[in-house]
Amino acid sequence: MDEQQERHYNIPKLNRIFAIASLVLLFTIIWMFASDYSREWKEYQRAFRNLEIEKTRVRYDAEINKLKKQPEFQALQEKLQVAQKEIATQHSNLIGVQEEIKNLETQNSLLTQEQKLTRSVLDATKYEYEEALRKDPEHASIVGKQYDDLEKKIANLKLAVEQSDANLSTKQKTVDDSQTKLKELEKEEKTLTKQISILERKLKKIDPDQMSVANLVADLIRDQPIIDFANPNYKIEQIVLKDIKDDVVFMEVPKVDRCTTCHMGIANPDYKNAPQPFTTHPHLELFVAKDSPHPLDEFGCTVCHGGRGRGTDFISTAHKPSSDEQKKKWEAKYHWHDFKSWEKPMYPMPYVEAGCFQCHAGQTTIKGAEKLNLGLQLIEKSGCYACHLIDKYKEWPKPGPDLTHLPSKTTKEWTYHWLQDPKSFRHNTWMPSFFNQSNSNDAESLARSEQEIHAIVQYLFEKSTEFSLGNMPTWGDPKKGEEIVASLGCFACHQIQPEKSKRDATRQALRREHGPNLIGLGTKTTKVWLYNWLKDPNRYHPETRMPNLRLTDEETADAAAYLVQNEVSDFNNTAIPAVNEMIIDKIVQDFLGKTATQDEAKAQIAKMSLDEKLTMAGGKLIAHYGCYSCHTIKGFENVKPIGTELTQEGSKPAEKLDFGFIDMEHSPHAWFTQKLKDPRIFDRGKIKAPDEKLRMPNYNFSDEETEAIVTAILGFVKDAPESKIKPRTAKNLSIEEGQKIIRQFNCQGCHIIEGEGGAIQPAIAEWLVKFDNRTENEAQSLVTSVSPPNLVGEGKKVQSEWLFNFLHQPLPIRPWLKVRMPTYHFNATHLNALVKYFSALDGQDTFTEKADHVMPPEEFTAGEKLFSKDYFDCAQCHIVGDKLPSGSSEKWAPNFALARTRLRPEWIIEWIKNPQALLPGTKMPNFYDPQNFDSSGPEDILKGDENQQIRVLRDYILTLSGSEGKLSAPAQPTTPTQPANVSKEEIVPKEEDVPKEEVVPKDEVVPKEEVVPKDVVPSTQPEK
Amino acid sequence: MEEFKHFINIISRPKIIFPIILTLFFFVFPPTDLLFNINQKLRLHKIWTKKGGIILFSLFILFFLFGLTDPNFKLIVTKPDNVPIVGLIFLTFFFLWYSMKQAYDNDTKIAEGKPPKEADDAKEKVLVWPDLVYVEFICLILCSALLIVWSIFLKAPLEEPANPAISPNPSKAPWYFLGLQEMLVYFDPWLAGVVFPTVIIFGIMSIPYLDNNPKGCGHFSFKERKMAVSIFLFFWLVLWVFLIVVGTFLRGPNWNFFGPFEFWDIHKLEPLANINLSELVYMIVLKQKLPTNILLREIGGILALIAYFGLLPILLAKTIFREVYNRLGALRYSIFMILLLMSAGLPIKMFLRWAFNIKYIIAIPEFFFNI
Repeated sequence: MDEQQERHYNIPKLNRIFAIASLVLLFTIIWMFASDYSREWKEYQRAFRNLEIEKTRVRYDAEINKLKKQPEFQALQEKLQVAQKEIATQHSNLIGVQEEIKNLETQNSLLTQEQKLTRSVLDATKYEYEEALRKDPEHASIVGKQYDDLEKKIANLKLAVEQSDANLSTKQKTVDDSQTKLKELEKEEKTLTKQISILERKLKKIDPDQMSVANLVADLIRDQPIIDFANPNYKIEQIVLKDIKDDVVFMEVPKVDRCTTCHMGIANPDYKNAPQPFTTHPHLELFVAKDSPHPLDEFGCTVCHGGRGRGTDFISTAHKPSSDEQKKKWEAKYHWHDFKSWEKPMYPMPYVEAGCFQCHAGQTTIKGAEKLNLGLQLIEKSGCYACHLIDKYKEWPKPGPDLTHLPSKTTKEWTYHWLQDPKSFRHNTWMPSFFNQSNSNDAESLARSEQEIHAIVQYLFEKSTEFSLGNMPTWGDPKKGEEIVASLGCFACHQIQPEKSKRDATRQALRREHGPNLIGLGTKTTKVWLYNWLKDPNRYHPETRMPNLRLTDEETADAAAYLVQNEVSDFNNTAIPAVNEMIIDKIVQDFLGKTATQDEAKAQIAKMSLDEKLTMAGGKLIAHYGCYSCHTIKGFENVKPIGTELTQEGSKPAEKLDFGFIDMEHSPHAWFTQKLKDPRIFDRGKIKAPDEKLRMPNYNFSDEETEAIVTAILGFVKDAPESKIKPRTAKNLSIEEGQKIIRQFNCQGCHIIEGEGGAIQPAIAEWLVKFDNRTENEAQSLVTSVSPPNLVGEGKKVQSEWLFNFLHQPLPIRPWLKVRMPTYHFNATHLNALVKYFSALDGQDTFTEKADHVMPPEEFTAGEKLFSKDYFDCAQCHIVGDKLPSGSSEKWAPNFALARTRLRPEWIIEWIKNPQALLPGTKMPNFYDPQNFDSSGPEDILKGDENQQIRVLRDYILTLSGSEGKLSAPAQPTTPTQPANVSKEEIVPKEEDVPKEEVVPKDEVVPKEEVVPKDVVPSTQPEK
Repeated sequence: MEEFKHFINIISRPKIIFPIILTLFFFVFPPTDLLFNINQKLRLHKIWTKKGGIILFSLFILFFLFGLTDPNFKLIVTKPDNVPIVGLIFLTFFFLWYSMKQAYDNDTKIAEGKPPKEADDAKEKVLVWPDLVYVEFICLILCSALLIVWSIFLKAPLEEPANPAISPNPSKAPWYFLGLQEMLVYFDPWLAGVVFPTVIIFGIMSIPYLDNNPKGCGHFSFKERKMAVSIFLFFWLVLWVFLIVVGTFLRGPNWNFFGPFEFWDIHKLEPLANINLSELVYMIVLKQKLPTNILLREIGGILALIAYFGLLPILLAKTIFREVYNRLGALRYSIFMILLLMSAGLPIKMFLRWAFNIKYIIAIPEFFFNI
């Protein structure tokens, strides 16, 4: 049979198909390799290498030019040349020597060789000899002889080798000696060119133009596919963080950050202006750099920034665009899309500070995270934490005023208008708007809202309790009142700002808004109420943070008379819609229907009077809207807040947020932004019953404020990396606790603490111009000296016990200041926390031992001299007991009588030595020159020993309280139970004769034992 | 075009498409002589000619290409997980057509008294090497190349570690289990997940013992094995491939049904208005309270089930299945009928659910026994 017929297919044709198929497979395999090999990050690494070569070349050239210009280098070069020439001249002499050395070396090696061989023969013979001795004694003598000969030979050889070695080293030395100088010079050159040779080595490693041939070949080969497993140029860089775990749900894995694979210049300051992804980190002083608080090796990148550290391409790392434009750009450039499956996507740049919060949650302000700080402060100010539980703010006071005595303060009409639209009364109020919002501005909702407000007002007035208003002694003089309000320090927390203006999105601005804008008080309340409020705020509202300014009755009346002048015209005159019983019935029915049947509810409603219905509906509505979260309201003492808990809100994935029918980006930050801009927006397009509607009120935040708050919310995450959280030491805890109280009571409204605050200063400058007849420029230069003091170093400066007493019951230290430290309603916890805070801040123990100095007479005279007019003339500025300084009051300084109880003795020494170092810009002159300390004191006292002089002066000052601190004013002991009474007559004088009666040395006024109840004494133990 | 898409979306609803497919199927693959005659009269067998195949195939591709212009359709069809299912549709269609064409060609030949095409093949001698192995090897190479290219273009759709906080919606089984997952919509897990798969395996194992038709062996033929081919294709095409296609392309978030051109809206809600047979009988028809006695309550369903498995086989044996009964004998016939009726239970239940919102025929949640 024919071969061909046995074949079903045409074999040559199959062969061709086979060939083509094989080629196709080959091609696809090559393609697969290429596709697998070409990774996005390799492109970046290549680009970075070129950049690096370029930078290194430039630096290399610059270094060389710099070196060439150095005179030392030029001199060295000359010396080198001379030395080289010298050696060249000696060259002919040395030739003979070198020849000899060569010969000697040959001889030497021959001898050593022979020695080695002979020794091995000797060892063998030794064995033979020993064997023979044991087995064949006759033969032994012959072998023994051989052995002896060999031993002799070895001894000779050893001698010869030693001689040859000695010869060689003497010859070698003569050669070496002639070159020592050159070698030293070369060594010197090396130290000079160290930097250059580092760069040169680097270039040789990376720059193909500078490489050796072997390196060039290696460079070409090492990155080829398959071979690149060994030691490639381009490889994934990673930082493994064993102490930070990524939660991948069913297990925890160490965090691995590969970001530096592409972001190659992140830690190198040379790449500041390089394009992304090579740009240097913008804050190397805080992050990434080795000596920063967050070095790259310990923190990585994603623990702060979020994102997927293990990813090695643009998308799988969960990059997030900062804006819509950037998103569009990325989509075009990288085919960017959201990487949904990663729970912690990167924070978009505007919210990047959110990453700080997880570890710094305890701090009140986080240095370097200004937006986050603003966000947190806005959350505090707006009282978000009142409705939304936030762990950080668990113990914070309610942000709104007490409403239990409302009728004594205002009218039903005012309350109605206020609830309807708070901003029409006070444009910058922090009370948010509940009604007429985007989901409740249709006619039906508006009609219902009107009745709801009626009901709430009814409840508030019905359930309130009596508050007895004390009578005013006089009707008050508004003119005087204006000056009191302007000068005493009210403007640290309040403003009087009738015009609508955009709030500055700064924390300083928020400090000035700590209390309400004092407009429209005449419309809102009465002079009598204001009088009673100012006289003792805690009587009306026990939880208030408004302090007592210790005003006299007349002053209080004046201030009340002034404040009540400001009215919002027509606010109370707008008509209030009548109560509509039908709608009220419906509201009551809606609420009752939740627990009772429709018929039962109807029957119950039929039994109630209109007022009862209103009160009932009001109570339910207050619960519904959560008014009680911010305000103290009767009947809601222990009710839980209504909002969603926000403690871990930043970890919520977008899937758990209801975007409703709003067409927008589905990401948490976009949702929070939208929610803050219009809290009711996600109701749009939904059909809901009135009580199902969203009810978060509108604060009308500006874009900047919204962004700051969203930053803070995004920072509220679960699973903070425990190993990186700021250590929970007693010191840190004390500082955090103190910061919290300082924030709550707005201490920074007046004082500068930790370098921040002093918000009152512009108001003081204004007062100087308006009431003290200063020019604008004078006011600016004077303002720091007539403002409340900067509290830098307070812990070092004052004694804890004094600070405790002072905070409890302040006494004037700087009587020339108009602005005064008010009496706060601090409890023992507050006081202890503050004392500990200041001590911890300056690294002091809370208590230091107080040594009572008995001064030897000669030291006393020396101190007296230094104090006197002839030397430092301390009394020129400082008040001493009841003696006032002669100059104008803005030059005055604190009373020495206070020093013994108030100041820490060691601080006084530091202070006299160099006041500028402790408090830059202080009025206190430098008597001793810190630059030239040893010769700056007067020579004729204590033999010119400066340290002794200062000590003696300090000791002298400490005696002053007793000896010269006699008082004209009678001392009045006070107790903590009646702190407000102290100030009335004794301490606060009339305006004409400011200081005389006011100067009260502390230890005479307040007997220590009485002020500090035993259980209130600050303890050195940290609170747990 | 929008109207057309809307129309397709509407007829894709199970309530409509399932009855259509069910009726159409038995005309295209007629199991009995009566239906076969109608099939011939309607000239439906013309599908299995070259011309018919090309026309149908072109229409199919045309629809697919048209679909790609729609963003929703494109999104679902081009998803890396779903691309193989698109391939499955085309391959199933092609091989179905190819085998049916050969079957009909053979049927014509046999009708003319000629031997089937395969008879010629048997005469020819073909060597393993090179005719078989060489060709297989070339196929292997080309398939490898195809898989490599595929993997370069469509990266393996691997995802991040599973996360209970973000469960994918819809959560879908692997494609080959989508039929089972679809069954879970209509039956309790013990039935859909345990009993039915077991019965399916035993049923397939028993086919050689049940089928004693000696005709059509060793060659493609439809006419000689109408019932066997029809039953097989019904389960393969309708209850397996169709359900996979439905599960892949038409089941969206919350396992809701979406037309091929519909946006997968996660908020779409469908009324949960399903009722049990007992409720239908007592509350809607008789307007009574449900009896407290379980047996009394479920008596309707129990009777229906008894009738279905007990009376129906007898009735069928006396009427249209008389011939089958005669050929198989009593024992084989009973096993065959039980298997057939159980399998038919699925489409029947699906139909009852879609058409009448029937949740369970027998609902005894007290004993976790729901059918």
